[in-house]
Amino acid sequence: MRINHCNGSRIVLVLLAGLLAAAVASAQTTGNADFSRYVAVGDSLGAGFMSGSLVGDVQQVSYPALLSTQVHGTSGGFEQPLVSAPGIPGALQLVSLSPLIIAPAAGMGLPINIALPRPYDNLSVPGADLRDVLETVTDFGGLHDLILRGLGTQLQQALMLQPTFATFWVNNDALGAAISGVVIEDVTLTSLDNFETRYRTITDTLAAAGAQMALATIPDVTTIPYVTTLPPVVLNPATNEPVLVNGNYVPLVGPDGPLVLGQDFVLLSASAEMAVGKGIPVELGGSGEPLSDFAVLNGSEVAAITARIAGFNQVIRAVAGERGAALVDINAFFAGIAAHGLNVGGVEFTADLLTGGLFSYDGIHPTPFGYAIVANEFIRAINRSYGADIPLVSYHDYVYGPLASLGTGFPVGSSFVFTPKAAKQLSFALGIPDRKTLNRIKKRRATVD
Amino acid sequence: MLRRAKYLAQTGGVALLLVTVATPVRGAGFGIFEHGAKAMGMAGAFTAQADDGSALFHNVGGLGFLEEKEFTVGTTLIYAVDSSFEGLEPFPGTAASGELESSVFYPTHVYYVQPIGEDLNFGFGFNSPFGLATEWKDPAQWSGRYISAEAQLHAFDLNPSLGWRVTDKLSLGIGAVIRFSTVELDRYVPAVNPFTQGVIDAATVNLKSDFDEGFGWNVGILHRPWDRFSWGLSYRSKVKIDYAGDAEFTQLPTGNAALDAIIAGTLPFGAKLPVETAIDFPALASFGVAVGLSEKALVEVDVNWTSWGDFEELEILFIENPELSSVIPENYDDCFNYRIGLRLDVGANQWRFGYVFDETPQPEGSTGPLLPDADRHGFTVGFGWRDRFDIAFMYLLFDERTTTTNYDNFFGTYDTTAWLLGATLKF
Repeated sequence: MRINHCNGSRIVLVLLAGLLAAAVASAQTTGNADFSRYVAVGDSLGAGFMSGSLVGDVQQVSYPALLSTQVHGTSGGFEQPLVSAPGIPGALQLVSLSPLIIAPAAGMGLPINIALPRPYDNLSVPGADLRDVLETVTDFGGLHDLILRGLGTQLQQALMLQPTFATFWVNNDALGAAISGVVIEDVTLTSLDNFETRYRTITDTLAAAGAQMALATIPDVTTIPYVTTLPPVVLNPATNEPVLVNGNYVPLVGPDGPLVLGQDFVLLSASAEMAVGKGIPVELGGSGEPLSDFAVLNGSEVAAITARIAGFNQVIRAVAGERGAALVDINAFFAGIAAHGLNVGGVEFTADLLTGGLFSYDGIHPTPFGYAIVANEFIRAINRSYGADIPLVSYHDYVYGPLASLGTGFPVGSSFVFTPKAAKQLSFALGIPDRKTLNRIKKRRATVD
Repeated sequence: MLRRAKYLAQTGGVALLLVTVATPVRGAGFGIFEHGAKAMGMAGAFTAQADDGSALFHNVGGLGFLEEKEFTVGTTLIYAVDSSFEGLEPFPGTAASGELESSVFYPTHVYYVQPIGEDLNFGFGFNSPFGLATEWKDPAQWSGRYISAEAQLHAFDLNPSLGWRVTDKLSLGIGAVIRFSTVELDRYVPAVNPFTQGVIDAATVNLKSDFDEGFGWNVGILHRPWDRFSWGLSYRSKVKIDYAGDAEFTQLPTGNAALDAIIAGTLPFGAKLPVETAIDFPALASFGVAVGLSEKALVEVDVNWTSWGDFEELEILFIENPELSSVIPENYDDCFNYRIGLRLDVGANQWRFGYVFDETPQPEGSTGPLLPDADRHGFTVGFGWRDRFDIAFMYLLFDERTTTTNYDNFFGTYDTTAWLLGATLKF
């Protein structure tokens, strides 16, 4: 009938107008950047790892997931290797405040998106360094297998998706040294040449496949609470305040002698050693044994890692400049927070463990709010470089509401302990060799030299 | 370091006086320009006329031309009709909004003029050239409560002056300013709950000063070279006031006993803590030209300049708890106001009309819950009955002020409308 025919054309016109408007709208949002196929290449920070665990509720607020949501207006369509509660491994919990105990939850979660018939859009694997991105297909039952599922390396699977845009942020070439407490060239701290070769191979490959990029720099190890929380002095276990003898602090005893305040750092994993008296002088009730090398980052180790990270970041900045990619300067951003906090509406967020609001219980990975502000740094950089107008992630619910409380604790009844199980689990999840292996490597290197 | 001592500490001492800066109805910054209904009727374009007691504020040069003893009393009712906030992303977000409690401010003015010689007049003025009251509704839910929930500033000037009629056409004046002022601020103190990583209200803090004083001076010239033409120049110096007062923290229960115990140990609750701060009140320079359009009509145009650039920051010092001290950046700029007024004689009475454009000295960075200032337009109409009683009405339309660069990362849009009603009676 005539009326239907007119209505039909009108409907088609309306649909076309709507599609055109939507197309124009998204073009306006992303500027010169094409987000039709967005892929994330990265490590635990890209995966939404938090409190030593990969768990779905937090993966939903990983910075790649948040970026995708802000671009497309919906979280649908961005596939990730989601895990059910309490996560893999079981997430760290704040067991009690006084005494202060951080330990993993019992049990393990299960992968709930394992049957996806194509690579995940978020290919970030906790523990991946640049070599893993290029070469690792399996880790024999670890998180690489959970996420890569034998379909190829991170880079190969990214290419399979024919990406138009990729974010690329990998920290483990330096992070391994910070968490294990030892610097072993090309084992815990990648050499600069290897880093540059691998970094350029990855970015060249992505660019050749037609992907625009956002590249992020690596933060300094002295900006994360895993490294900065415990002072290198003896604390009173009952009050967590420094012990004073004749008005002076008492330095802890490290592998090379007494530690120096302001120069040497004690890692969170040291608390388990201190709980059995290591590092504490006999006069103050300790065993007299020194803290192990794994529990301490001394001044020269910190200097070596910091210098290496600066070298890594120079490569990243150079590549971003050459490729016209967005540069997300996370190094500068974390340094700013470590120096003077982040004021959001009169709330002073800091890099402190437990009370800072930005870092989770493992002292390395952000809280959901931390991920939201990291996502906004990516968005700001992309908006700047590509003339885009992607809306920023809203903080309100992260600060006050439901997204804030993704970790709950339960009260129980001794001093600050980051339990040995927590430390071991964290190292395993982040692909850091255990202490025995690291010792073996160190000995071998020493005899070669 | 677990830094227990610093836990929550930075939040203390915030903008206590910062708040003093802006009421919704203030003019550039927290200045008040309405000190006589006669001048107010002409939107304050009065420097070149200054022909009543309010000359003691507008242009003390006019004091010399006054003929007889007079005693003037008046007040200006300042009422904020609508003063709202709408949040922007990323914080506090588009779902957040706020409203200021409607406050009625009524700064009073009193002027006493006494001839003490043939060409010499003594004057004594009392008025409130600065003031502020911002109180947000439902403070416990207000998203800006960690910056400010309520703030008040009161300032009163005593202004003994001398006016000297040099010739029939020229008069000079000089005055001394003694300013008394008090400030008060209330806000909430946030903390991160380590169990949930969410932000909770750990405490409230109230900061209150004594009545403290500062000194300044003012001068003025009023020149009437020809019939139906006059010009005036007035300068009121800046005044610095050092305030002393007390702060008090009150703990709010979080529902978690372990957390409450830790919070209790990190702030000095229940004690009166001595605090100090200072405000540099700006100088005000005014220049006006008045022209008689006819026997019965006169128009005046004025420009004011205020040295708000002196107001760079607000430092709150906790004398015995220095870790709680803070410095709030303000970074105000000098600014101008432009005024035009028209005066029509109708029999023994006068009708007055005026318009003023007030620039705001406040940069976007410091536009926040303590002082949401904006450029504004004032429209006035006034009536004078037999040179004895004056009444004036001003409608104040503020430009919408949006900030996405606020120093506290508190983004949003502020919108205010206010009206003022002034009445002055000469005895």
